[in-house]
Amino acid sequence: MLPGESVLTFQPPSITKGIVIIVGGYGSGKSEVAVNLARHLATDGPPENRPITIADLDIVNPYFRSREATERLQQLGIQAIHPRGGSRYADLPIILPDIKAGIINRNGTVILDVGGDDAGARVLSSLADAFVPGEYELAIVLNANRPFTANVDGCLKTMSEIEGSSRLKFTGLISNTHLLEDTSEETVLSGLVLAREVSDRTGLPVLFLSASAEVLSRIEPKEIDVPVLPLTRMLLKPWETND
Amino acid sequence: MAKILMKGNEAIAEAALKAGATNYFCYPITPQTEVAEYLSRRMPEVGGVFLQGESELAVANMLFGASSTGKRVFTTSSSPGISLMQEAISYMAGAQLPVVIVNIMRGGPGLGGILPAQSDYFQATKAGGHGDYRVLVLAPSTIQEAVDLMMLAFHLADKYRNPVMMIGDGMIGQMMEPVEFPEKYKEPPLPPKTWAATGAKGRKPIIIKSLYLDPNLLEDNAWTLHDKYEQMKKEEVRFERYKVSAKNRILLVAYGTMARICQTAIDELEKKRISVGLFRPISLFPFPEKQIYQEAGKKNIGDVLVIEMSMAQMYEDVDRAVRGQKQVSFFGRTGGIVPSPEDVVEQIEKLIDKRKPKAKKKKA
Amino acid sequence: MDRSDKTIFARPEALTDTITHYCPGCTHGIIHRLVAEALDSLGVREKALGVAPVGCSVLAYNYFNCDFLEAPHGRAPALATGFKRLRPDMIVFTYQGDGDLASIGMSEIIHSANRGEKFTTIFVNNAVYGMTGGQMAPTTLAGQITTTCPMGRNVEQTGQPIRMVELLSSLVTPAYLERVAVHTPRHILQAKRAITKAFKYQSEGRCFTLIEVLSTCPTNWGKTPEESVKWLEESLMSYYPLGCKKDPEKPELNDGTV
Repeated sequence: MLPGESVLTFQPPSITKGIVIIVGGYGSGKSEVAVNLARHLATDGPPENRPITIADLDIVNPYFRSREATERLQQLGIQAIHPRGGSRYADLPIILPDIKAGIINRNGTVILDVGGDDAGARVLSSLADAFVPGEYELAIVLNANRPFTANVDGCLKTMSEIEGSSRLKFTGLISNTHLLEDTSEETVLSGLVLAREVSDRTGLPVLFLSASAEVLSRIEPKEIDVPVLPLTRMLLKPWETND
Repeated sequence: MAKILMKGNEAIAEAALKAGATNYFCYPITPQTEVAEYLSRRMPEVGGVFLQGESELAVANMLFGASSTGKRVFTTSSSPGISLMQEAISYMAGAQLPVVIVNIMRGGPGLGGILPAQSDYFQATKAGGHGDYRVLVLAPSTIQEAVDLMMLAFHLADKYRNPVMMIGDGMIGQMMEPVEFPEKYKEPPLPPKTWAATGAKGRKPIIIKSLYLDPNLLEDNAWTLHDKYEQMKKEEVRFERYKVSAKNRILLVAYGTMARICQTAIDELEKKRISVGLFRPISLFPFPEKQIYQEAGKKNIGDVLVIEMSMAQMYEDVDRAVRGQKQVSFFGRTGGIVPSPEDVVEQIEKLIDKRKPKAKKKKA
Repeated sequence: MDRSDKTIFARPEALTDTITHYCPGCTHGIIHRLVAEALDSLGVREKALGVAPVGCSVLAYNYFNCDFLEAPHGRAPALATGFKRLRPDMIVFTYQGDGDLASIGMSEIIHSANRGEKFTTIFVNNAVYGMTGGQMAPTTLAGQITTTCPMGRNVEQTGQPIRMVELLSSLVTPAYLERVAVHTPRHILQAKRAITKAFKYQSEGRCFTLIEVLSTCPTNWGKTPEESVKWLEESLMSYYPLGCKKDPEKPELNDGTV
């Protein structure tokens, strides 16, 4: 990990709601953002955010779900809720009763990692009566390099589909434009331009920008005027290492 | 075209459209359902045919009918679904129909699990259905390669009038990578499809069939197919070598996702001054037999190690290709467990320890 | 000249000049002819595609003068679906027996009908597996003797024979479904009208169309052609009533509601 002085001078994300629901198009990087936000709040965030709970609500993706980072999250004192035993590997749409209980009896911050697109967000409808307006953050993760969210109209369409299927209203945006190992400074900054345009059209704030710590170390803090969440990839492919 | 980030399943779908294959029949099964979901959005945009059939059995037979029109057609499925398609694949091979079938493999046998595996190697490469036939099998190891091979698959299917299968473990379907599509897909010219059923106007009826009651004619058909497979062996063998050199002590053979894990292991071993090369078959049928024979025969190679996410399936082809020149060993994990680069390093170190003179083994 | 020669009967253009393999007294030949006449009368032979089954009519592709596919057992409706979806401008028909359609191909025919695929199925029901030598079919009558029910079909163990047009008529999707027979000139004329109407509906892109034709099998029934016709009239027709079960122009027939 590069400590990177400049990274430290980015403004960290500030979470003021007890429930943070992370949604987005397929492959926008929701799960990576969710587990990194949990890690950030558990290790560097203000005490009032803790304890941190992360719940895996991804019923549409069979692989690369936040449950795969469970052990590392638990080491940081984060409670992880996801199907256990054989069901952990199932492609059944399993929603544990613990999730609703976790939302209602919440203590600290609950991060919900939801599956992609309107299909993945539909699961939120079944929990609708647990969400009180004003008490949750519903944030969309935007990646300008994904086919269906490459421009403002695509983003707006995806957002309206997700609002329709989740029965919830968005409260903010997360700019997470990347190309995995091919991500450059320009990739990250061009994604912020898109997020700003979506923000202008919707009136929703950009809650934060997320990008790999390595790329962030090459960007001047003054070029990003929103809070920044540096990412350490936790959902790796079998041949990838983090060093 | 600029690079975009795509899930393997989406990229495969888009690649087919780029190759002019706008006719898709499917049945949902994890871990490849995103192909169907993606195409259900895209087909109306390109004026193509999208149909979710009642079973994989029906879907593969719909392909038989659809392919008979002479247009490019395809399906995608995963292991148990591919088993159900074997009936029609055998008939299409017999009737010489071009079709592209993608198998995003999960663990088996039976219902197995939904995690990645390579355990359909035998089924894909040895004729999964009945009769004397083969399908041409391609195995990508990156999403970009999946895109390139998917487009090539349609060309080869037309060139040979034979089913072409692209197989990837679940990881290939589910992972995301940056990919680039050609602005315009170019391919070498193909002969006109005079065999297609387009209506008997001004010509004799065309009959597309695999039935030959006269044994002499059935044998003739078997020879026709055989000749095509021999031509494939001459013209369609594809493979890649990674860090293969005269310093190598061990030659690894792996394909698909497993090959990428081996690459990471090879890089790790290099730091320990252990030189290992990787031979990665890209075409599994035709199998790069001669090339493996040559690589394994080199003086510097002490051992050949086949690594799979299955139980020694490709091992049999490698062992046959090496023809006793060297000891061929196997390491694999299956059922959805993906070996780590550390597992591979450990296996290689064990092999090297065995060869050390002090560790002489008693002869049986 | 008022005595010029005039052709009053000839082989339809949609049939080839081939001697068929069908047994004496079998009505496949008549049904082939009716299909061919329907194709000719609508002028669609040059854009027709037939799909042959596995069964006695497996070699139908040799007798029709149009493009043909030979399907795996029971899958003709799947092939027809795939073809017709890509070539909606062509006229597609499957020609299937009772084992092919009502046993191994049950799933394919029901789903094709339910999707409202715009092709025509000619379903030849002779209550027995002909090709393999007279085994029990899903349409074999109760008590009927076959090589796999030598004591007669025991409906306690094997269920009652399946009435396909009635079963398909319970689907809500519009369709044209009619059962006909071809053992007398009067029935042949009725069958011809039904088959022609099915192809007409198809060419208008209206609905899925299936004509069930009750047929004879003297060889496997162990009856003379005359006895076969009599048995068809007395036994088959009393269990499988003739008539139209569904027609987009006759909403008073079964509309699928229960």
